[in-house]
Amino acid sequence: MQRFAELLVAAVLLAGLYATMAYGLGLIYGVLRVVNLNHGGVIMAGAYLGWVLHEKLGIDPYVSIPLVVVASFLIGIVVYRGLVRHLPRGAAGAVQSLLLLFGVWLVLRNAAYLLFTGNDQTIRTPYSTESVRAMGISLSVNRLAVFGIAVLTLVLLHLFLTRTFTGKAIRAVAQNPDSCTLVGVDVERIYTLTFGLGSALAGLAGLLGATLFSFSPSFGSVELLKSFVIVVLGGLGSVMGTAAAALVLAVVEVFAILLLPAYLTAAVGFVLLVLVLVFRPGGLFGQRVLG
Amino acid sequence: MPPSASRPIVALCLAAGVAGGCKKEGAGGVKIGATLPLTGAEARVGAFYKEGYDYAFEQQNKKGGVKVGDKTAPVTLILLDDTSTQATAVGLADRLINSDKVDFLLGTYASHLVEAQSAVAEQNGIPYVNGGGGASQIYSKKYKWLFGLLAPVELLADAIMRWVDTQQKAGKLGKQLKVGLLWENTAHGKDFRKGVTDFAQKNTGAYRVLVDESFELNGKDFSALLGKVKAANVDLFLADAHLADYITMQRQYVTAGMCHKVLSYGARGSEKQAAEALGQKNVDYVLSSVWWSSQLADKNPLAKEFVDGFKARYNHLPEWYQAMGYETARALFVAIEQAGSLDREAVRQKLMAMKIPSILPGGELSFPAEFGQQSHAPFVVQQNQPDGSSPIVYPDSVATGKGVAPNPNCGK
Repeated sequence: MQRFAELLVAAVLLAGLYATMAYGLGLIYGVLRVVNLNHGGVIMAGAYLGWVLHEKLGIDPYVSIPLVVVASFLIGIVVYRGLVRHLPRGAAGAVQSLLLLFGVWLVLRNAAYLLFTGNDQTIRTPYSTESVRAMGISLSVNRLAVFGIAVLTLVLLHLFLTRTFTGKAIRAVAQNPDSCTLVGVDVERIYTLTFGLGSALAGLAGLLGATLFSFSPSFGSVELLKSFVIVVLGGLGSVMGTAAAALVLAVVEVFAILLLPAYLTAAVGFVLLVLVLVFRPGGLFGQRVLG
Repeated sequence: MPPSASRPIVALCLAAGVAGGCKKEGAGGVKIGATLPLTGAEARVGAFYKEGYDYAFEQQNKKGGVKVGDKTAPVTLILLDDTSTQATAVGLADRLINSDKVDFLLGTYASHLVEAQSAVAEQNGIPYVNGGGGASQIYSKKYKWLFGLLAPVELLADAIMRWVDTQQKAGKLGKQLKVGLLWENTAHGKDFRKGVTDFAQKNTGAYRVLVDESFELNGKDFSALLGKVKAANVDLFLADAHLADYITMQRQYVTAGMCHKVLSYGARGSEKQAAEALGQKNVDYVLSSVWWSSQLADKNPLAKEFVDGFKARYNHLPEWYQAMGYETARALFVAIEQAGSLDREAVRQKLMAMKIPSILPGGELSFPAEFGQQSHAPFVVQQNQPDGSSPIVYPDSVATGKGVAPNPNCGK
C-alpha cells in the first residue's frame, strides 16, 4: 500500500511538469494549426535563462519566473512576426512550418552550444535536495513547487481563455478565423499573441525542468516528444484535456515499473499514443476548442 | 594508403638511385589524424581529451619529435570535430586517411564513436590507438588494427566489488549483502552489470542481486526506479550512469530519503561539478572507480612527471580523461620509435608486442591479444570524504586514504 501511495504521488507530481511542457504546444496548434517544433528549443532556452539569472545575478529560479516568461514570450513574438507569419496558412504551409521551426530549433541549440558549451548544467538552490515527509512518504520540495506552479498555470490559462475578451477571441479564432475577421477581430494580432503565449509556457516549462534535472543544449528533445504524446492524447486544442492527458501519461509511465523492465517504461507513452490514434483519433477527451 | 605500401615505394626509390626525388620516411614530419567530440553531447569530455593530446604532442615535439630510424621527425596532429555523432566520426576518419593522408590514427571519445570509427581503420589497414572506448564489445570483433587503452568496464565494477568485499570480510557490512543494481542501457552499462553480477555469482553466499534494472540515458524521472530499490531494502546501491544522470538520480535519491551502506555510480562520483550541483554533504561517501587518478603521482614517477608538467601547462590537475588522451598519444609515439619506421604494419607489430612503463594504475601498458588488444590495466577506487577530498581507497598498493563503510550518513 505504501509503495502504491509513493508511486501515485510520484506520478501526480510528474504530471504537473508534463502538463506545463505540453500547454504551449497544444495552444499554438489549437489556434494556428502549426506544429511548433521550436517548442523544444524554447524549453531549452528557458532552462538556460533561469540558470544564467541564478548563476550570474543570484536570482532564485522561482523568483525569475516572470523574467523567463516575458523573455520566452518575446522569443515567440519574434519567431512569429519574423518567420512563421510569412508562410501559407493551413495544410499548404504545414511542411514549410515544420521545416522552418525545426531549423529555428537547430539554430537555438547550436547557439547554446557556442555560448554555454555542451557541459551539463544544474540550478542548485538551498532547497534543491530538501524534502518534507507526509504519511511516511518523502516529498521533494522542488517537485511540490513545480506541481503547484503547474496547477496555478492551468487555472490561470483556463480563466484567461474563458473569462477575458482576448481569451475568448483566441478561442474564436481557433474555431473560425475568417468569421473573426468579419466581426472585427484582428486575427494576425491574436496569432502573434498566441504564439508568444505558447512560447512563454514552453520557457516556463524549461525553467521548472531545470530546477529538477541537469540540462545541456540538447535539453528539450525528449520534452518535445512527450509534449506531442500529451497533446494528442488530450485531444488537440483542449487545455483541460492536456492536463488530464499529462496525468494519464505520468501514471502509466510510473506504474509501468511494476510490470515492465525500467528501460521500457519510457516507450509505454508512445504505445499509448499509437493506441489512441488508432482507436480514438480525437484524443482521450475528444476535440475541444481551447477550454 | 594500403598497409605496408610505403615500403615498396622506398625500395623502388633506392633501386633507381633517385633518393633525392623520393620523400624520406618522416622527412615532412609524421602526420597523425584524430577526431574528438568538440561539440555536441560529449563536448565537455572531448575538450579534456584534446588537452591530453595537445600536451602529448607538445612534449614530444620539445624532444624534436619521434625518432624514425636515424632521423627525428616532428609530429603533427590533424584534429577534427566529430560533433559527437557516429556518421561524422566515420566520415572524418575516412577523410583523414584518404584525403589528408595521415600516417596513423588516434581515437575519439565514447564507446559508440570508437566502435564506428574502428571499422574504418580496419578497412584501410591503419593503426588506430584509442583511449576513449571502454566497452568490451568493441574489441570482441578482434580487429587487427585497433588498440584500446581503456580497460573494460567489467573490471571497473569488479574493482568496486573487491573493495566492498574487503570491507565485508573485515566484518563491517554484515554477512549476506543485498545488492540493488541499476545500469544505463548502453554497452558501458551492460559491461558494468556483468562485472557486478559475475562477482556476485562467484561469491554466492555473500551477495544477492535483488534489483537488476536498466534505464535510458538522459532520464528525467528516476523516482519509480528508485522506489523499486527502496522497496527491495538492499544494502548496496550500485548504479552505472553518465554525469547528467548521476546528478539527477542522486538528487532524487537524496530527496527520497534513501541511504545505503555502500553507494556508487560506477565511474562517476568524484566530479567537482556533481559536488557543486548537489552540495558536498549529498555526495559524501560515494564510491567511484576510475581508469586513472592524479593521486597515482604519489607512487608512480611517470605519472608524477605527467601531472607536474600538465599542471604547469594548464594550471589545473588532469583528470582521467586528459591522462588517457596523453597516454594514448604516447603509446603511438613509442610504437613508431620502436618500429623505427612509418610502415603501418611494423608499427602495428610493435603495438601488439608493447609492454612499457606507464602512468596507468599497475604502472604498465600492454594490449593483450586475448582481449582483442584492449588494455586490462587495473582500476583505482576512490571514495568522497566530507572534507571534499576523494582519496584512492583500493587497491592498497596505491591507496592514499582509508575507505569508510558502512556509510556513516545512514545512521543520522
